[in-house]
Amino acid sequence: MNSLWQTLRTGLLTRSLKKLFALPAWAPGWPVLRPEGLSRAVRRELLELCPSAAFAEEGDEFRLDLAKCVLCGRCFRAHPQAVGELRTLEVAVARREDLVQRVDLATGSFVDPGPPPPTRAELHLPTLAFREVSAGNTGLDDTEVALAGNPFHDMSRFGFTVVASPRHADALLVSGPVSQNMREALLRTYEATPEPKGVVAVGNEAISGEVFAESPQVAGGVDKVLPVDVYVPGSPARPASILHGLLLLSGQARQALVGGRVVQEGRERARTAPSEAGVRKDG
Amino acid sequence: METLKQVLGSGRLVALWYDAPHLHYLVEGSEGAPPQEFRVEARKSFPSLAEEFPALDWFERELWEEHGLVPEGYPALKPLRNHHLPYPFERVEGLHEVPVGPVHAGIIEPGHFRFSVLGERIIHLELRLGYQHRGVERLFQGASLERALLLAERAGGESVAHALAFCQAVEVASGVEVPPRACQLRRVLLELERLFGHLGHLAGLFTDIGYAYAATQVGKVRALLQGQLERLTGHRYGRNALTVGGVGFDLDPKTQLEVRRALSELAAEAEAHLFAALKHPMVLDRLRYVGPITQAQARLLGLVGPAARACGLGRDLRQDDALYQPFTPVTRTGGDVLARAQVYIEEVRQGFAYLDRFLSELPTGAVSAGGVWPLQEGELRKAFSRVEAGRGELFYWVRLRGRRVEQVKIVDPSFKNWRALELAVRGMGLPDFPLINKSFDLSYAGCDL
Repeated sequence: MNSLWQTLRTGLLTRSLKKLFALPAWAPGWPVLRPEGLSRAVRRELLELCPSAAFAEEGDEFRLDLAKCVLCGRCFRAHPQAVGELRTLEVAVARREDLVQRVDLATGSFVDPGPPPPTRAELHLPTLAFREVSAGNTGLDDTEVALAGNPFHDMSRFGFTVVASPRHADALLVSGPVSQNMREALLRTYEATPEPKGVVAVGNEAISGEVFAESPQVAGGVDKVLPVDVYVPGSPARPASILHGLLLLSGQARQALVGGRVVQEGRERARTAPSEAGVRKDG
Repeated sequence: METLKQVLGSGRLVALWYDAPHLHYLVEGSEGAPPQEFRVEARKSFPSLAEEFPALDWFERELWEEHGLVPEGYPALKPLRNHHLPYPFERVEGLHEVPVGPVHAGIIEPGHFRFSVLGERIIHLELRLGYQHRGVERLFQGASLERALLLAERAGGESVAHALAFCQAVEVASGVEVPPRACQLRRVLLELERLFGHLGHLAGLFTDIGYAYAATQVGKVRALLQGQLERLTGHRYGRNALTVGGVGFDLDPKTQLEVRRALSELAAEAEAHLFAALKHPMVLDRLRYVGPITQAQARLLGLVGPAARACGLGRDLRQDDALYQPFTPVTRTGGDVLARAQVYIEEVRQGFAYLDRFLSELPTGAVSAGGVWPLQEGELRKAFSRVEAGRGELFYWVRLRGRRVEQVKIVDPSFKNWRALELAVRGMGLPDFPLINKSFDLSYAGCDL
């Protein structure tokens, strides 16, 4: 009786996508380059300041790789004129290049990687079953995948379930930089998954290897081992971003980041509203 | 060597690490006394003590694998993390073998379990880990302090505890003084991490016994508690919050009050659900006598944290921490899944009380030690530190040269506790394995490094 009362009192915990995709005010956003502020001195300081080597300069190009960012916020706090803040959780992309901001220093503008490719139509299904494989992950990306199924996020309302066997799965969620010791197990799990099958790389460790990239004990990213359909950045990837990645894979959401930025009609949006196009209406 | 054996016989091994050309054994004697360090010179080999003191077993295998030091007299050397070497499993004649993993059915980290079963009953279990091995300790070599801190935050499942243990070791080595406000804020984060960790495995235990209602309610409290950690630090797991010399964030009085208020509401909710759940006869029936560890076994394996406290071994490093005084460790004597669940629940209650205390009387002042880095270029310093993480005693040893880390040794509590699982499942039914495993809440990444 008590439990029944408690259940009624708790009410509905599940949040709408719009609420889920809003970054809490106290969390730092993603860095986004401002080409006009990138003087030689500032660039050198940014390269030195970043503890995870997310910035890189090569010839006439200055790059910021969001998949190497640990979201510490040091860069935009120290150099607000050169680095802005991108406050969105809709960060899943179908193409690795869409997590990298490239500035051509000669022209002082962003390099446009072209329109993002669509995700595979054969995986645009009303329901998708996933098998999670942790391959050298700290364990937190896995926890975040599990939390995407909690009452607040409730991924099952979009037709997503996590299943026990790869034989029952439509796609793999892979976290971690793929340790040498997990490589074979990951490949065999992939082989055991029936066609058509997708792969989602969850978290920065799974995309770029992040701080483990230089270790000889890891492959340095899932796409070094398997073809990847969707990349979900984050350190670890947040449940809302994972949800966005799954929606992208299943064709229920569109990609918001192009070339590492949110671009709309040639103009950047400071705060991003969740993409409505293609998203199923929810409670 | 003889004194070392004597102390090991009555005490508990904290860590064993190699700082060429010496092996360092850190052993904690009777409660309250500071741990004793023994140095043994070892160039190619060292006398093995694992047969006499099983707590040393994995440490000696690790030394052989990492540094090529041969433990003389070790019965049968097997690799720990190196999967290129052959690994012969222990086989029991006439029993059926059930291999499980490395990819599991749930959303958890990888590891391989080889069960030898008679019907449904587990007679023997052998663990094979190392799947999560990323070479963390080697990445520390030559890293700047900022990069090393990122690595520490990712070494095991508990970001705050690992960052804290690393920072403390560096601070002891370099003599950097942490201001009192930062010290207390660090404890706030540590307790929050412990609480949502504990609530997470309690929710997991309820899921495993099919008590979905309690699992959902406890899971909800856990999620909201994690939100408070994010509120304070800007990160869901408290990463980037600690710095060498202090913390990287500060609290204004308004946030302090709001967080305190939110936590007291969550404390009441957790209390209601957890205590109701543990009065439920079905729950008690399902958890009692499952996966027992005796106190003698716990001593022999050198267990730490809630697993040890559930066997009546009342050691908690917070006893030595001035900020926690007075502190009484939570203990239970059953040693089974129920005792471990009770320890988690009691520690949740205790943690909420300490959080309230820490947040009500926060010292004023700076949150980070300013000034210049005290070590000269090329100056060599060594130190170790210990932190009571949610899973138990976490140990870091660092060797610094100037502003760079030369070498580290990390001993995650899970590294000591994994063996307990092998003993706890003996004689239990195979379907109870997930429940027993969950009750220990072991980190694969922290163990494999």
